[in-house]
This record gives sequence, C-alpha cells and structure tokens, in this order.
Amino acid sequence: MLVAVACSPISGDGDAADPADWDGVVSNSRGQQLNLFMWGGSSEINRFVDNVYGPRLEAEFGIHLNRIPVADTVDAVNKVLSEIQAGRRRGGAVDLIWINGENFQTLRQADALLADWSRRLPNARFVDWDAPEVGLDFGLPVAGFESPLGSAQFQFVYDSARFGPEELPRSYAGLLQWVEMHPGRFTYPAPPDFHGNRFIKQAFYELTGGFERWLGGFDSAGYAESSPALWDYLQELEPHLWRKGTSYPPSLAELNRLFANGEIDFTFTQLPAGIEADVAAGILPATSRPFVFDTGTIGDSHYLAIPANAAHPEAAMVMANLVLEPELQAAKLAPANGWGDGLGISLSLLDDDSRRRIEAVLDDLGELALEPALLESVRLPEVAAEYTVALERDWQQYVRR
Amino acid sequence: MFAASRSGLDQVAEPSRVWIRLLPALMVVVPVFVVAVALALAQSLGLLPLVGDSRLSLDAYRNLFSGGELWRSLAFTSYLSLGSTALALGLGVVIALAFRHLFSGSRFGAFMLQLNLPVPHLVGALAMVLLLGQSGLLARVAGSVGLIDGPAAFPALIFDPGGLAIIAEYVWKEVPFFALIALAALGSVADDFEGVAATLGAGRWRRFRHVTLPLLAPVLLPAAVVVFAFTFGTFEVPLLLGGSFPEAMPVLAYRKFTNIDLAARPEALAIGIVMLAIITLAALIYLRLGRRFAGRQ
Amino acid sequence: MIPRAVKTDSPGFGHRHSERRRRRSTAALAGVVLTLLILPLGVLALFSVTRAYFYPQLAPDDWNLRAWRLLLHPGSEVWGAMATTVFVGLAVVAVALVLAVPAGRALGRHSFRAKRLVEFLLLAPLLAPPLVVAMGLDFAFLRLQLTNRLWGVVLVHLVPTVPYAVLVMSGVFANYDQASEDQARTLGAGRLDAFRYVTLPAIAPGLVVAGVLVLIVSWSQYILTLLIGGGQVVTLPILLFATSSGGDTALTSALALITIAPVLALLLLTSRHVSRMPAAQIGLP
Repeated sequence: MLVAVACSPISGDGDAADPADWDGVVSNSRGQQLNLFMWGGSSEINRFVDNVYGPRLEAEFGIHLNRIPVADTVDAVNKVLSEIQAGRRRGGAVDLIWINGENFQTLRQADALLADWSRRLPNARFVDWDAPEVGLDFGLPVAGFESPLGSAQFQFVYDSARFGPEELPRSYAGLLQWVEMHPGRFTYPAPPDFHGNRFIKQAFYELTGGFERWLGGFDSAGYAESSPALWDYLQELEPHLWRKGTSYPPSLAELNRLFANGEIDFTFTQLPAGIEADVAAGILPATSRPFVFDTGTIGDSHYLAIPANAAHPEAAMVMANLVLEPELQAAKLAPANGWGDGLGISLSLLDDDSRRRIEAVLDDLGELALEPALLESVRLPEVAAEYTVALERDWQQYVRR
Repeated sequence: MFAASRSGLDQVAEPSRVWIRLLPALMVVVPVFVVAVALALAQSLGLLPLVGDSRLSLDAYRNLFSGGELWRSLAFTSYLSLGSTALALGLGVVIALAFRHLFSGSRFGAFMLQLNLPVPHLVGALAMVLLLGQSGLLARVAGSVGLIDGPAAFPALIFDPGGLAIIAEYVWKEVPFFALIALAALGSVADDFEGVAATLGAGRWRRFRHVTLPLLAPVLLPAAVVVFAFTFGTFEVPLLLGGSFPEAMPVLAYRKFTNIDLAARPEALAIGIVMLAIITLAALIYLRLGRRFAGRQ
Repeated sequence: MIPRAVKTDSPGFGHRHSERRRRRSTAALAGVVLTLLILPLGVLALFSVTRAYFYPQLAPDDWNLRAWRLLLHPGSEVWGAMATTVFVGLAVVAVALVLAVPAGRALGRHSFRAKRLVEFLLLAPLLAPPLVVAMGLDFAFLRLQLTNRLWGVVLVHLVPTVPYAVLVMSGVFANYDQASEDQARTLGAGRLDAFRYVTLPAIAPGLVVAGVLVLIVSWSQYILTLLIGGGQVVTLPILLFATSSGGDTALTSALALITIAPVLALLLLTSRHVSRMPAAQIGLP
C-alpha cells in the first residue's frame, strides 16, 4: 500500500473511477467500449474471451468488449508508454492489458498504471493477496496496480509414443546428459520469448544453488559472479541442440510445430490444467504428456492492469472484477472450454458451492494434465524482473553469437 | 519511368493548370512522406525523444556502427536483396523469352503471371514455412519416396543463416513482376528486329546480346531497383522465415523500436535512415546507368 | 541449330515439325511456371482442411473443416477485420484516384519545368520501406492525437499507393486522345460535362486498373497498419499475423486464404482490363 500512496500516477479520470463506490463505477461503465489488449496467438483463448466474457459484459453491464489481439504484449506496453511520453495523459487507447513480469515492471517504473484499485474490487475478497505467487509479480508488489486473472506454471511436454516417463530428464543436469545422448532433439525458444526466458531462468536457479539466493531485490554483484555458470551450461548444451544451436525457434508456437512434427522431442506449456486444448486443436499430438523437473519449475500469476491514461477505466474495473467470479474461474480452468488456465482466486476463500465446483474440474483433469499437488510441490517463485532483463541481454551476448 | 505521350505532348500547356493538377497529389504524398523521413532523421539524431532530453547527437549511429551487429545485418540484408533480385530478374527474362511466342496475341500469359499479384508477402512467407520447412510438404514428399530418413536430413531452408526461404519467397513473388515487364518490352518489336538480325546472319547469342538485351535493359533496370528497394525494406518475410542470427535490417530495426527500453528508439530510427541511404544509393546508381543506356541508343 | 520461328508465308514441313516441338516444350515450361506460382496457395489450401497434420503424413490422417468452420462462423472476428480492410481499401482507392487523375494528366500530357523533380517526389515513396515511414510517423501521429486511427491508416496507405495510381494514370493519359474532349468543349460542353461524358469513359479502363492496384497494395499492408493503427485497426493482415503467432497451422492457413480471396476474386473479375494494360504498369513488387 505504501507504494501506491507514494506514487500518485497520471490519472485519466481519477474521481469517476473509485472502486469503493462500486455502483458508481458500474453505472459509469455502461455504454463504454472496453479496449482489452491481449496476446492474440491462441484461438482457443481468444474464443473464450469473446464468447464467455464478451456476452456477460454486454448483457449485464452494457459494456462492449473490444479485444485487440497483439502479437506480443510488449506492443501494448510500448503503446501506453509512447502515448504518455507524447503527452497523451487521458483518453488513451488501451483500457486494460493482460500482463505480468517485466512488462508490469516497465509500466510501474514509468508510472503509467492506474493505482490503488485492484484490492478494492468487490471480488478481490476471493484473492489471497498475501500469497507471494499472487501478491508479488516477479518480486514486485502488485499493490493495487493489477488484479489477478489466473496462474501458470512452466511444464515440459514429451510424446508418450516416443518415450516412457522413466527416460525423461528430471533436472537441468539430467537434460545435458539427455541431449548428449539425443543430439539435435532439443531446443528452446530464443529469449526474449517468454518461454525461452523462463527456461533459462530455471536453469539459472538450479545452477546457482537455488532460487532462495535471488529473492528480494536485484543483486547485481551476485548475478555477475554466478551467471557465468549458466552461460557455460548453455554453451555446453548448444552443440547438441537442434541445428547445433546455430538457430533457435523464435516462439513457443514454433517450438510446438517442431515438436509436433517430430523434429524435436520436447516442447513447453504454461497451463496448469494441461494441454488438452492444444491437442484438441491439433497443435500437439494426442500422445503428448506434460512433465516437470524434480528440481522445480516456475509458477506465477498473470494479471489485468489499467493504464493511467485509459479512456474507460470503469469498464476495465468491471471486467477485472468479473473475471474473478468463481464460476468464471472454474470455466476458465476447464480445458474443455478451450483454455485450462490456472486459478487467480484461492479455494480457501470461497464458499462451499464454488469450491466444490472448482474441485470437480480439478478432479476431472485427465492424463493431459499433471496432478495439481505435484505441480504445487515443485513450484518455484519468480524473482525480480531485473534478472529477466539481465538474462535476456546476456543470452544475446554469450549464447546467440 | 513515366510513359511518354504517344500522341505528342499537348501544344498549349498552361503552366498554372499543370500545377493545379499536380498539387493535390503532391500536397498529400509529399508532406506525409517528407515528414516521415524528417522525423525519422530527427529521432535518429536524438531529437524529439520519448524519454529524456532532446539533444542533437550522433550517439545512435556511433553505437550502431561500432558494434558488429549492424554490419552483419547490413551484409545479410544486402545479400538477400541482391541475390533475390538477380535470381528473379534472370528467371523472369527466361520466362518472358519462352512465353512471348506461346502466348503471343493471347493475354493468357500475362494473366497467369498476375495470379500471385494480390498475395501479400506475409501470406507468401507463411506458405513457405509449410512448403520448405524441414517437416514441410517437400520434406514429406522426400521422406515418402525414401530420399530422407527424417526432418533433420532435409536441408535447413527456414530459420537458416543463409536465408534461403527468404530468397525463395522473394523470387516466387518477383519473377512474375520481371517477366511481365520483359514481355511488354519485347512485344512484337523484338520479333521484327531479331528477324532482321537473323536474316543478316546473326547467331542466337549475338541476337540476344545486341537486339533483345538493349530492348530489355531500359525497362528491367528500374524494375530491378524497385525490387531491390522493396526486398531490402520488407519486414514480414525475414521476420517469419529468418533465423535468430544474423537478423535482417528491418527486423533489427523493429526489435529496437519495440524494445521495452524506449532509449533504444534512436538506434531503430538510425537503422531506418541507413536503409533509406542504401536504397537512395541504389536509385542513384540506376540513374547513372540509365543515362549511359540513353546515351548509347 | 533450330531455325527461329519467323512468320513466313510458306513454312516447310520440317519447320512446322520443329515449331510444334518447340511449342510443346514451351507449353510444358508454362505448365511448370503456373504450378510453381500457385503451389504455395495450394499448400495453404491443403493445410487448411486438416487437423494434427504432422510429419511424416503426406496424405492427411484427419481431413477436417474445423479451421474454416471457426473462421466463417457468424461470430468470428474475421468479419470485423474484413469490414475494416474493405473500408480502408475503398477509402484509399477513392482518395488515390481523385489525386492521381489530374496528376496523371499533367505528367502524361504536359512537359513543364521541374517535371523530373515532380516525378521524383511522387515516385520516391515507392522505394521507401513502409517500416521506416511508419517508425518516423509514429511520433507525429501520437503528438497529433489522431484519435480516429482509421483515418490515420487511410492517410499512410496513400504513401505507397498514390505513386502506383499516378504511374498508371499518366500512362493512360499519354495515350489519350485529347481531340474529342476539345471537340466537346468547342461544341459548348462545360468543363465538368466534358470530363464526365468524354474524358471519364475514355479513361475508365485505366481507372479500373489503377483502382485494383491501389486496393491490392492497401490490402497487403501490415507494418504501416500495425504501427499507425496502434493495433486497434485490425485489418485481415493484422489478424493473420496475430493468429500465426499461436501456431495453429490449419487456422493460419485458412485465414491466409480468406485474406487473399477477395482481392484474388477482384483480379479475376477485372482481368479483362488489367491484362490489356501495358504490362510494365501492372506489376507490383
């Protein structure tokens, strides 16, 4: 809260958008067009947003949801930043962004986000703000600047038609041995792709003695001292990678394509409820299965944030509140609805009915998902976004060349 | 490049009327274009920044040219553009020479060559991934007839440092462009001249060298400049088909332009200015060459 | 050496024989060229009707219309993008033609001082990379707060399209017979009437060609639309790019075909005019 008070942001329409006066927010939002900027690469997620949130907003609140697909979230962030830098303090084009991590940090540092609203939404009571995986976004306090949408956890994916579970690597050390035995059969997306960043950050944790050291602020001396171990490892990995590491796929979509066509043996996913939607869409083979390293994989939350210069902050709040409805969280979790995203709310804060409904979805997850308890047991936290920026930059220097 | 009037220029050309006719087009295109270039130049020189103070400096250029990244990118982009322009030009001429008799009189040939006219490069690039990728359709055909035993055995055409799929896409799109232009230039005139040359006992190569080529060169050269400029500046194709290294100049520029660090923007614009400079250079070389051709005829 | 096919009055038998053989081999070449030209579109068509179509399948295991069904569904975002693309395209065509007809007339029919400079100014944008234009203008558009981004997109689409339109129209006017217009004027027709009843019908085929070219160029723009439209002006190429980043091959392929279908159809409908134009003016790089 301290942060929220300390930085008073450039306000778009400050007094109108006070979530404490929720009825006022709802009535102001009526008739607004809500420009939601979100990564538009998954047709399943797009359809979920259009077909589940869109009609509810329209029917119950008279809000017209205008989902704007971006090829990368950074496009939306850039847009907000350049608008504000160009002096456009209100009436901005972006009302709501699907965001986390370094993108959140960038907008926070530029003082470009609406402050002190998310914890005062009516449905904020379902959110466990004290849990670090919710209250901290890459180590940075969420502190009223963004509201959770869901959660994710990094997982590897293999093809059960090609390997048995006992043949899989279970750590980064094991992965090095595995690629030596299977040359050309593994690669990862080139940072700054989100999944590529995450893959190397997990390696960074494991090779530097665990994540605990890196919690808290950015330790630049420690990073400089420890990170060479990571570059040594990745360089050792490189000759055994797909195309001997002369090229890396640019995105997860490309990694999926290589995997599905048998060019490589693993791909990644972020969906706690599994890869059912991707299998149904024919992006991944039906025999694909997720797995994780014993040494852990990173889990985190993703959020909705409102730019300080948003033209329609009220409509944005209404949507951020709506997506926290337990019933809609359950729908988003169920892979059959096309998404399979993790929860943004906490089961322990729900009433019995809602909890049972969500537990039923979790019990129903098949072999295309991992046990929630297993995922929970290996979950690693994110650390300060500066590490992502540093790792991204140094990867360009030490690995890509 | 503008067609000269066949029926002779108008006798009475009231200057004021001419300018009134030109003004609307000039007033729209020139300001937008000039403002774009001027702003790109200004921002590359550290003026009008999105963050920090406006200060005239050559820092962006200095940073770019001192690192190896820009030079490698420049070499790679030039190679892609020159290579695909030359290939497309050669193939286009061959096709035009072969087609002019087959389709003489009918418009079918020209129509055929226009089929991929409305296909954006973006679509062409997406198709190349599915066609030329190591698990693409060609690889599957090769696999099914036993030529390769898996995707890895198929040549790496996409995401490769040689940019072969990028060149393939450009050639696919530009060959018809050159062929159409060559076909039009050949027309029936070439037949007559070549006929005369043949009667005079000129061999095939001599006829091509001294009759056909001089007819083609004046129209194909400007076309080649246009294609060079276009392929040099296209963003979608190298983005979708290029490897992680080296990066084509437009991709590098865009990555810096959308860098989360707004301070990288001057460098993005500086790359844009370098691209403009190279394209201008190509146009100037063409003008020199064009004058030489004009002198000879 | 096979004698060249010169049109002679009485070709001998041997000549006719070699002529036939040569014709057959050029026809074969034409077949190969045609196949190569449409092959990439065929590949898109094939992938668009499959699901889980992975290596080493040559014939798909799962023929599937899922992608088409999703995209052509009444609630699909394709329709909005199609409407936006059509709107931008038609607006660009209208403005570009209004600008290009007088300019083409001036350049095609008149010689005047500074003609080369004007030509240069009108053609230079043809050579400039759209990315550079867009990056430069981004700042100005933000400052000017061009709130209606749709018109901003129309405006920047004029940069690469007007040169083509002027190029075509100057060619049209170079071959245009001024006499009938003068005659009409002598017979008392007003300037507007003369334009409407004499000039316009005479240049109509040229207008169609210029319009088609301009529409095609506008329809194909990605980076200009992305940066100037700020992501909010979702045309078909913008939607296609975002879709392709998801890696759903069938969906991307089907959307790619939907993106080109309207312009391809337009080209087929107007091919009569387009093919008749001097070919040097109907190429697009």
